[in-house]
Amino acid sequence: MPDVHVTIDGTEIAVPSGSTVLEAARIAGIEVDTLCDHPAIEPIGACRICLVEVEKQRALQPACTFPVSDGMVVHTRSEKVVGARKFVLQLLFSERNHFCMFCQMSGSCELQNLAYKYELDHWQFNRPMPTYAVDASREYFVMDHNRCILCRRCIRVCDELVGNGTLGLKNRGADAVIIADLDVPFGESSCISCGTCLQVCPTGALMDRASAYMGASDQVERVKSRCMGCPVGCGTELVVRDGQVIRVEGDWDAEPNKGLLCVVGRFDPQHEVRERVRKPLVRQGDAWSIADGEAAYGLVAEKVAAAGDSVATVASGFVTLEEAQALGSAVRGRKFYMYDLPQTDRTATMADLDEADLFIVTEMDLSLDFQVAGMAVKRGVRKRGARLILVGEGENGLADWASMRVGRADLAKVIAMAKSAERPVVVSGPAGLAAAREIVSAVPAASLASFAPGGNGRGLCDAGFGQTYAGDAAKVTVVVAGETSQVEPGLLDALKKQEFVVVVASYREPWDQVADVILPMPTAFEKSGTTVCADGQAGQVVAAMSTRVPTLEATIGMVAEAIR
Amino acid sequence: MTEPIYRANVLVCAGTGCASSGSRSTMAALEAEVQRRGLQNEVRVVETGCRGFCAMGPIVIVYPEGIFYCQVKPEDVEELVEETLVKGRVVSRLVYEVPDTQQAVPLYEQIPFYSKQQRITLRNCGVIDPESIDEYIARGGYEALGKVLQEMTPSQVIDEVKASGLRGRGGAGFLTGLKWQFTAQAAGDIKYVVCNADEGDPGAFMDRSILEGDPHSVIEGMMICGYSVGAHEGYIYCRAEYPLAIKRLHLAIEKAHEYGLMGKDIFGSGFDFELIVKEGAGAFVCGEETALIASVEGRRGEPRPRPPFPANQGLWDRPTNVNNVKSYANVAQIIRNGAEWFSKIGTPKSPGTAIFALTGKVQNTGLIEVPMGITLREIIYDIGGGVPDGKQFKAVQTGGPLGGCLPASGLDLQVDFDSLRAAGAVMGSGGMIVVDEDTCMVEFCKYFLTFATAESCGKCVPCRVGGRRMLELLTRISEGQGTMADIEMIEEIARGMDSDSLCALGQLTPGPVLSALRYFRDEFEAHVLEGRCPAKQCVALTSFYIDPAACKGCGICKRACPVQVIEGDRRMIHIINQDGCIKCGTCQEVCPFDSVIKLSGETIEVPTELIPVGSFGK
Ligand SMILES: Cc1cc2nc3c(=O)[nH]c(=O)nc-3n(C[C@H](O)[C@H](O)[C@H](O)COP(=O)(O)O)c2cc1C
Ligand code: SF4
Ligand code: SF4
Ligand code: SF4
Ligand code: SF4
Ligand code: FES
Ligand code: FES
Repeated sequence: MPDVHVTIDGTEIAVPSGSTVLEAARIAGIEVDTLCDHPAIEPIGACRICLVEVEKQRALQPACTFPVSDGMVVHTRSEKVVGARKFVLQLLFSERNHFCMFCQMSGSCELQNLAYKYELDHWQFNRPMPTYAVDASREYFVMDHNRCILCRRCIRVCDELVGNGTLGLKNRGADAVIIADLDVPFGESSCISCGTCLQVCPTGALMDRASAYMGASDQVERVKSRCMGCPVGCGTELVVRDGQVIRVEGDWDAEPNKGLLCVVGRFDPQHEVRERVRKPLVRQGDAWSIADGEAAYGLVAEKVAAAGDSVATVASGFVTLEEAQALGSAVRGRKFYMYDLPQTDRTATMADLDEADLFIVTEMDLSLDFQVAGMAVKRGVRKRGARLILVGEGENGLADWASMRVGRADLAKVIAMAKSAERPVVVSGPAGLAAAREIVSAVPAASLASFAPGGNGRGLCDAGFGQTYAGDAAKVTVVVAGETSQVEPGLLDALKKQEFVVVVASYREPWDQVADVILPMPTAFEKSGTTVCADGQAGQVVAAMSTRVPTLEATIGMVAEAIR
Repeated sequence: MTEPIYRANVLVCAGTGCASSGSRSTMAALEAEVQRRGLQNEVRVVETGCRGFCAMGPIVIVYPEGIFYCQVKPEDVEELVEETLVKGRVVSRLVYEVPDTQQAVPLYEQIPFYSKQQRITLRNCGVIDPESIDEYIARGGYEALGKVLQEMTPSQVIDEVKASGLRGRGGAGFLTGLKWQFTAQAAGDIKYVVCNADEGDPGAFMDRSILEGDPHSVIEGMMICGYSVGAHEGYIYCRAEYPLAIKRLHLAIEKAHEYGLMGKDIFGSGFDFELIVKEGAGAFVCGEETALIASVEGRRGEPRPRPPFPANQGLWDRPTNVNNVKSYANVAQIIRNGAEWFSKIGTPKSPGTAIFALTGKVQNTGLIEVPMGITLREIIYDIGGGVPDGKQFKAVQTGGPLGGCLPASGLDLQVDFDSLRAAGAVMGSGGMIVVDEDTCMVEFCKYFLTFATAESCGKCVPCRVGGRRMLELLTRISEGQGTMADIEMIEEIARGMDSDSLCALGQLTPGPVLSALRYFRDEFEAHVLEGRCPAKQCVALTSFYIDPAACKGCGICKRACPVQVIEGDRRMIHIINQDGCIKCGTCQEVCPFDSVIKLSGETIEVPTELIPVGSFGK
């Protein structure tokens, strides 16, 4: 787009036409305060914090929505502007309960920061302060309306990005309140607990149960990493205080997820209840004993040495590329991937999902698994008018978004529709892969996003773990599990039949049902390495916490040492 | 079948006002009576839209004489038919009487209420049967559409509307032709025209009257607009509380289709047009054009910042022209009679007429259409007949709840968009409320502010929170708890809301308070500094006393007091216990000797114990 010339606070710059004043100011290196605006969603000009003076306009204009035009002259710090910002802040502080000393957001709150910046040192207006009941019905985070400033970021992310449309408003004017669905408790609503609203809330209105009061923004560090929960491979920001990850946030700059996470990546690690494996465990009949290092590694070494080539190594998706490579070179025998293998040709990227005009989802429920991909489907349907066909019977959380549901037998109909679409994308899990392949091979324009549990399935294939484990007999079976909890009962049954099973895992369950020895393994927060997600993009997992649990490489070393 | 030639036409108003005072039964009775006497081939009974003088309804006008009958009940019908239609005499007890002089005025044109009016926008209202497209056509209807489609290019139409100087009647007074030009020039092949018939001001009903009384005029205006901006689809957003308007719109659209005036290839010109009626949810803010568009799209009806303006990005993000009902209703006449004709009515900068819903303390209330430039005095005194009951005029509020008020010194102001705005009032929705000395301006403002804050959508902070804070301050003042700092704070909030709010609702909410502070500041200060409500309306600041010199000791007040705080005995001076009095005013109403007085900011001396009548102060 051609450039237009604008003058902001005396600086003349050229910016692309169609920019907002806010965007233009950022290009000029001028910071304009905002509150309801958030870079990931459409601006609505509601809070009026970003008001600026645009010459020739009668009233002040919101920088976040006002489009630039050639020759425009803008003042972002004039007396009038500062006065307006103070006025708006004073009104906000008079509206609900903002006694910051009791608020978990104090120190990280965007409203409070602005109050400091504009030197609000007293309350100007009367404060009748209505009290609202706190809604604590949701498992992971709490809604405290008393701190809410009705900026609607939560409503907008849930609608525009998550595509869920759970949140809305009831009442008008000063009585407006954020609600879920038709005003049901949040915990009973259509919310999928992705936590995106929590992440964007500028105030203490949405409160994370796990990290509340655990550290303000200047007391924490942020480490960019990658979720290993599934092959979408979402970029994360691990919020760390005193060597502990207190909260996980989505990384706005990360390609596949652009800031979004699902409950698995955001909340599950903080709410883990399984018993951690910190020392090697050795089975004695039905009981387990904590073995001293040498004894346990010695036992494993002995068994492995005796097994020769009859070793089977089974890795979960929580194993990094580097860990897999270390296993590959140190352990003999056959290598397996714990789950069904993902499809690797004609793969659709997340960007393809965001451009699809037709989604065909075969035999899986994207509201339960691979949710961030599900969000792309939902927002595609809601925001771009894309169509969704669900193939397969049974309950499906995406049914409300689907324009059609067909049985496995009706593939011909689906193929015909896909042929008339411009950018059809088939989305499949392990169960629907056969149907998905059939559609993709019949429709040249179609691409396939195939997901299987675990974040590094493709990396493991690349590292030689290219077979699906089906209970193959071996003298020693080594399961490298990491923190996976998605374990099929069939896998456990197969392992129970094996002679000797060594499991390297972060948590005892469910492996204590099948293992003879359990060796400790770091979690994804504690290790660094590479994963390759469903569309083949490699990314880095970065350690955010230190641990005394040995790395997998160290464990391999100790076993090798014991053999010698 | 040929239509008989009637010797008399009896026009029965079936507007909402008259309908609610029973015009349907009057109409039925008239038809039956005409039948009974076998006059049906000589006398035609026609149902029409509103004549504006609704307070006098049901209205019946008999033509060709133009005899104007008020409050005609079914039981009056026999006499009316007998006297007027058979014997050609006026039924004097049914004609209008000027309240002050009791002078009877039998003829429509001579009634003072109509004397200074100039009915242009409303020219068909109350004259034609709104359900008959033929009657509309007979009065020149759809001629303009034909002319536009056959003889004019879209830009010629826009030029004509621009030349007429027509300004939007939805409140802001933006030049209609210029707005059309913006939509016409906007990029895009799909465009829409939208008619704003939300009419959310509780006191206004002119849009309703036009839609009920002359729906085709709006439809024709919209089609002419559609042709000139390049739109083939139009939406009329009409509040659901107007069922009759909606019904008549549907009927009118159906008829227009039947006559080939709507649909495909109208008049063989290749121009296609369809019209859809959308029922509004009834929120005041839905009348704001961007909120209206959101509501038509099925979203929560809330305004969004402009730009982008609807002319560039409106309905479903397509270029959209939004005009008010009255704006469209003027268009066909402008095309038919020429821009020059229109521009000569009214004032040079505000040509045409203004329609007001005149209410409050005037003798004649109702809907009036007057040329722009008329003075408020002419409206209130000549048309409205002045303030009744010998009371003093105090103020007139124009523009509805977002408008402003003017004092007696503003009565000679000429009414048009710009002069009203300069004086702190606005044209707005066309509401015009006259108040007399018994109205407290603090209470009056509180009433409008209560309405506006309840209707704030809650999206932007200045309106959502500022309005509420301002209402609290005003309430404090009316309860005698206010300070001078509160008045200043009201002004500060008002300035902030005006400059910082997202839409005109928030920007204009302070209007009534600001204008009242401008013209009646002393009244606010009396509340604050003296604890006195000059109009003696603010309950917290008034008290009732029994004048000890006037009390006759009859005891009627004592028996009537609902909380029994009056002390007294036969032939003893009665005393009100001020602490328990709830200020209901019952004692004042019942006292046969007018001995109970209402005071504010002052007290009188009363006996401290029961003493005989006539002995006080002796
Ligand atoms: C709160 C609010 C309510 C409004 N209500 C109406 C209305 O009921 N009818 C109307 O025509 N315009 C209303 N308007 C004005 C419209 O936004 C818009 O300016 C108008 O429809 C344009 O038509 P015009 O150019 O013909 O005047 C309202 C504006 C605001 C801010
Ligand atoms: S939400 Fe922010 S401003 Fe409000 S109490 Fe909490 S820290 Fe303070
Ligand atoms: S957690 Fe996710 S789904 Fe639930 S309300 Fe928030 S954004 Fe919407
Ligand atoms: S909950 Fe948070 S994000 Fe949502 S409207 Fe309130 S302050 Fe904004
Ligand atoms: S000014 Fe009032 S009505 Fe308009 S957007 Fe703001 S809150 Fe809504
Ligand atoms: S940040 Fe622009 S109005 Fe809120
Ligand atoms: S409704 Fe009959 S005169 Fe208005």
